[in-house]
Amino acid sequence: MVSAIVIIAAALAAEFLLGLFSERWRVAAYAVTLFALGFMTFIAAEWVWAFAVYAAQPVEIFTAGVQPPFAINLRMGLPEAALTLLINLTGLFSALYLKRAFLEKGRAAMAVLLVFVMAQNGIVLTRDIFNLFVFFELSVIATGGLMLLSDDERAVAAGFKYLIVSQVISAFLLIGIIFSYHATGVLNIDLMRPDHFAALQAGSIAFFLMFIAVVAELKPFPANGWALDIYESAHPAFAGLFSAASAAATLYAVAKLLVIGGPSWLPIATGIGVVTFIAANLLALPQRNDRRLLGYSSIAQIGLILAVIGQRDILGDSYLFVAGGLLAAHAAAKAGLYWLSGLIASRDIAGWSALRGHPVLIFAFISFVALLTGLPPFPGFYAKWELAVALAGNGRYLLLAAILIGALIEAGYLFRWFGYTIKRDKPVEEISCYPLAVTAIVAALAAGWIFAYLWGDLSGHGNILHAVPLLFALSFLLLDWLPAWVKNTIAIVGMVGYFILNYADYDPLRLIFAVIILIGGPLILLASYDAHGRRVGFYPSAMLMYAGLTQLIGATDFFSFFVAWELLTVGSYLLILRGKHSEPHALSYIIFSLGGAFLILTGFAIASSVSPLPMSDALKALTGETAGWVFLLLAIGFMTKTAAIGLHIWLPGAHAEAETDVSPMVSGILLKAGLYGLMVLMLAMGKQSLYGIELTHAMLYIGALSALLGNLMAIFEEDAKRLLAYSSIGQMGYALFGLALMNHLGWVMAFMFVINHYIYKSMLFLSAGGVAKRTGTRLMYKMGGLITLMPLSFIAVLIGIIAVSGVPPLSGFGGRWIFYNAILSAEHRLPMVITFFSGPIAFLYLFRLIHTVFLGQLKDENRRIKEAPFWIILPQMLYVGLLMAFAIVPGLALRRVDAYLGQFFPEGGLNWEGITITSQFGYWSPVSIMIIVCVIFGSLFAWLLFINRRAQKVKQFNIVFAAERPYRPETTHFAWNFFAPYRKALGFLVQPFVTRFWDTVADILHTAGDLGRRLYTGNPQTYALHFLAFVVIVYLFWTGG
Amino acid sequence: MIRKFAAILLLAGIASIFMGLLFTYEPDAELNTTARYYAERTAADIGATNIVTAIVVTYRGLDTLGEVTVLFLTAAIVGLVLAHGRRRTSDKRRLAPVGELLATGSRFLAPLIILLGVYVFANGHLTPGGGFQGGAIIASGVLLILLADPCRCLSHRVIDTVESVSGLFYVGIAILGIVLAGGFLDSHLLPRGELGALFSAGAIPLIYALIGLKVGAEFSSILAHLSETEEL
Amino acid sequence: MAQIAMAAGFILILVGFYGALTNRNILRMIVAFTVADTGVNIVMVAVGYMRGRTAPILDETVPVADALSRIIDPVPQALVLTAIVIGMGITALMLAFAYRFYEKKRTLDITKCTELKW
Repeated sequence: MVSAIVIIAAALAAEFLLGLFSERWRVAAYAVTLFALGFMTFIAAEWVWAFAVYAAQPVEIFTAGVQPPFAINLRMGLPEAALTLLINLTGLFSALYLKRAFLEKGRAAMAVLLVFVMAQNGIVLTRDIFNLFVFFELSVIATGGLMLLSDDERAVAAGFKYLIVSQVISAFLLIGIIFSYHATGVLNIDLMRPDHFAALQAGSIAFFLMFIAVVAELKPFPANGWALDIYESAHPAFAGLFSAASAAATLYAVAKLLVIGGPSWLPIATGIGVVTFIAANLLALPQRNDRRLLGYSSIAQIGLILAVIGQRDILGDSYLFVAGGLLAAHAAAKAGLYWLSGLIASRDIAGWSALRGHPVLIFAFISFVALLTGLPPFPGFYAKWELAVALAGNGRYLLLAAILIGALIEAGYLFRWFGYTIKRDKPVEEISCYPLAVTAIVAALAAGWIFAYLWGDLSGHGNILHAVPLLFALSFLLLDWLPAWVKNTIAIVGMVGYFILNYADYDPLRLIFAVIILIGGPLILLASYDAHGRRVGFYPSAMLMYAGLTQLIGATDFFSFFVAWELLTVGSYLLILRGKHSEPHALSYIIFSLGGAFLILTGFAIASSVSPLPMSDALKALTGETAGWVFLLLAIGFMTKTAAIGLHIWLPGAHAEAETDVSPMVSGILLKAGLYGLMVLMLAMGKQSLYGIELTHAMLYIGALSALLGNLMAIFEEDAKRLLAYSSIGQMGYALFGLALMNHLGWVMAFMFVINHYIYKSMLFLSAGGVAKRTGTRLMYKMGGLITLMPLSFIAVLIGIIAVSGVPPLSGFGGRWIFYNAILSAEHRLPMVITFFSGPIAFLYLFRLIHTVFLGQLKDENRRIKEAPFWIILPQMLYVGLLMAFAIVPGLALRRVDAYLGQFFPEGGLNWEGITITSQFGYWSPVSIMIIVCVIFGSLFAWLLFINRRAQKVKQFNIVFAAERPYRPETTHFAWNFFAPYRKALGFLVQPFVTRFWDTVADILHTAGDLGRRLYTGNPQTYALHFLAFVVIVYLFWTGG
Repeated sequence: MIRKFAAILLLAGIASIFMGLLFTYEPDAELNTTARYYAERTAADIGATNIVTAIVVTYRGLDTLGEVTVLFLTAAIVGLVLAHGRRRTSDKRRLAPVGELLATGSRFLAPLIILLGVYVFANGHLTPGGGFQGGAIIASGVLLILLADPCRCLSHRVIDTVESVSGLFYVGIAILGIVLAGGFLDSHLLPRGELGALFSAGAIPLIYALIGLKVGAEFSSILAHLSETEEL
Repeated sequence: MAQIAMAAGFILILVGFYGALTNRNILRMIVAFTVADTGVNIVMVAVGYMRGRTAPILDETVPVADALSRIIDPVPQALVLTAIVIGMGITALMLAFAYRFYEKKRTLDITKCTELKW
């Protein structure tokens, strides 16, 4: 083992050696620099290996051959080893990236980089407080110097600003150090103890000054304007290093200081951290410059980690796991993102669309975004979970809420940026694929995934990356070079195979969902055979969603349930984003989903801190007010996914704008995830109330209103897919209503809806998609008379709307029948009436699908269109068969569910005798209904044919136009604004109040961010004043509290 | 105006923090643990009569190494900052010739100043002074030369080489400390010698000489860079 | 005595900060910072001062045996030495940056460097 001090010595030796090189030997000097950094990395790696594999003991390194406190000592333990490895690796790759700049500027620049990296190592290793100061100053000066590497003219000014502010900071640090020395008699961190400081007032002020000065290097709000300017204007390679390495080192310095200061300083650290986290994320919202945005995000992340360090009192030793996870994720992602930004010419975030066409870089980008937002399987996710459980377990709900709100804002701007990248127009300028830069980016990407694996192994919950469905999904990343049909086949085989291997393990409730996901999913995938080419990115995303869904129904504990929930959210987001115009809708989808996920996380965290049993038992074990709150949080979280009214605004766009075969996936299958969650929740917890309000009762109203308003909004839609999307809101409302009834029949009805909705929504979305594909529009008034050209689509839609509207003989009627039975036995009248009336409303919009699209006059431009492609029709025909089968023998699926529900709701079950189903109010015989309806329909149809046998055929243009020229062509179409009279009467109900509400929220956040960021005037004196203000404010808080 | 007001207000807040330090400050009656150790042991352990030097070079040698690096870094960055504004040899500034007095005086004084610098760093372990002070004195000699003849071009090559070689030796001695003595920067590489003699205190005089050379070279380099900048 | 020096040091720091934060001229700012630095150094030395003692150099007047009771705390002096050198390095660097700034903008007004903001 090489002593850790050699890291510092090697850097020093190399930088002094560089002075011997003539300016002409720049390449040789560069080689020395790389060698030194490589050697430093090697030493750190060796130590990490020793600690991780051989569990070595931490080593104290004495200088001058004298024991501390009389000489400076360093320490190498696992955290130090890991941090120095991180720092040196980042330094090494930055140096690679900087090759061009180095060869241009010469050896002095290389020496400055070496000093910078060495200083960060020193900050981590040293145990002497004044030595810490020396390394900080080195870091400051080196930062100023490295700013000169930038091509940006403004970088010099930014470096100068930093020097000015750091002058003020270092004055405080020095005074703090000297008075700390006076109070304790030592300069050694390990020998300074909290009681030394507490004994004297001067001692505690001294500590305050030291602490505040070191914290200031973490760029706390508001004393961080200089850092933003540095981030914006520095060379991207250095900005990445600055963000990753110096943050890591300084955070560790703060952690060391906090040990001296004692527990009373922890809340202050948390306060500073969390304020910084929220403020920086808020101010980042209106930001368009990519590097400045990353700067805000860096500041926010570091604030978060500081807050976590401040929670050491409750996290105990796991704080290293949590803070380390966040830090590792931050470092890999920020370094990677800054390095990516170096490839892109434009500084506007929309300019990142230049990355399109480079799948590896896009994958790197989304991985970095996922790292930052703490999505599974990355370390930030484990950290988020541990932190939430610890905070909830200790009643620190306010802090948890603050952190989650900040995280949501951050996710908002990061995903907005990703959306821009995927969807905005590609700029003319290509990216510069500088090989060394790409190497560095790929290294950051690899580091991110290695961290993911490591943290999975270290966590007590098992490694997310060991889950078979997820691995299956990820394997498509490697297969993405294959043609789409091959991948499609693999996907179908994989999913069906997984079902065959595992179906025996599911109870009836889960089995229904498993069939929908793992058999229903491949059924929809049949339509994907229609796609040509490679369809890059589709299969990883789709399979990620299916993997999440599969893991969701297999999950038995909170952690794996939440993992699955996040996975399916990300997968479906990526899938939805593929639609042509889906950028804003995908964004609102992911924001609502993550918001819902955070509520679920909070609920789970509270529940699992009460009892860490398997999920359903733990939920059952909750009592009193806690139970009510958990129920509320989880229910709202799940209802976000089912798009209950109020939380629904993401759905229409997301479902309608998705690709033809994606719409049925996200509508027919994905929505069920929310229902599944609700079912698990309500089966475990039953009825809950909070402050005298029965929560299931409230859900009844939500369900009823969703049904009514969803249907109402659907009837005024001109766009076929949006109409179907709104209809889903209504349908989910029914299901929610059924569940909220909390009786046997209500639940059977909900299951009926789960199955029915999957079948007919998938079918209708495919038909609508097929028609849209052929006609080139989704607006119904631009269609008409397609019945003869697209007969199979017509049949599918006809069967579909019969099923949806709940008229006999199809399965929709079964749902209706159970619904009537269910409400007869329930006690709440008003929501029942509302739900009852939404039935006929549904018919109003459904019949338009037939009437406007397939009947009426054929448009001239549609005269030559053909039936939808075979692969889109095939699943529809299968669905028609399924609907028929389910209509005749619903018992096939429902009987076992009915029996299963008997465990939970013993009363009011159905009686399944032969082909007749009996309830306490009557009976339903699907087969006889089918026969009766067929006979009636058949005879009427025959009669119609008979009386029309001599009717004369009129050609389409055998009519006379009045001499009127419409200024908007759609106004002449009979089907445009079809329900105008109803709109006059009921329009007030479908005013976009909810949309306006959420828009206002977004506006307020943006405006606040825009006003707030004006604090950073760019004047270094103002920045220094901010620092002074920061000191005074924290001082007042500290003395006041 | 607002800025001044804000500055006064905030500085008043800072002043109140400082007052908390000032008014509760009580000077120590006895040396504290650290200082006592140095007072008692320096002479015997290190063999330097100037205790501050023993602390600077040996006990807190890592700080000093860092400090030297600060100067090195500053010199490098000043070079980088001013690099592109460097005067080309062709368009030398035309300045009035310096007077005979100044030219001769500086020629006479500069070697003496440099000698004084060497004396100061060579005796750093015995009397007040040391490498930094000596280095600064040497650099002031260089400054005198530059002031007397602004067009004079100092050889960066020589300065850089002195700086680098002394730096490398310094690091080398520090590492030798690990191998041959008790640890990084341990000055017991060389015999302790007789207390108060020029060649005593182990490696301290050697290190201070290297520091003196290095600091002198670094300051000179900064000065040379500044003097070579374009007239604005 | 120590308190007077310390108070003077604190006042210098505050004066220096005031100057640095209100003067628009960069050179004046740099000078003001050196004033503040000096203040910091004075405060540091003042902390090590002990009444009636002498400098920590062993010679005929302070024999080794008496050192414990005769000398002042040497540590702050050593620290100040380091702090002075570092302060000087930063001052030199700021001067170089100021030069570069002037070269580009033809002004030394600090309020003119606000292209980077928000």
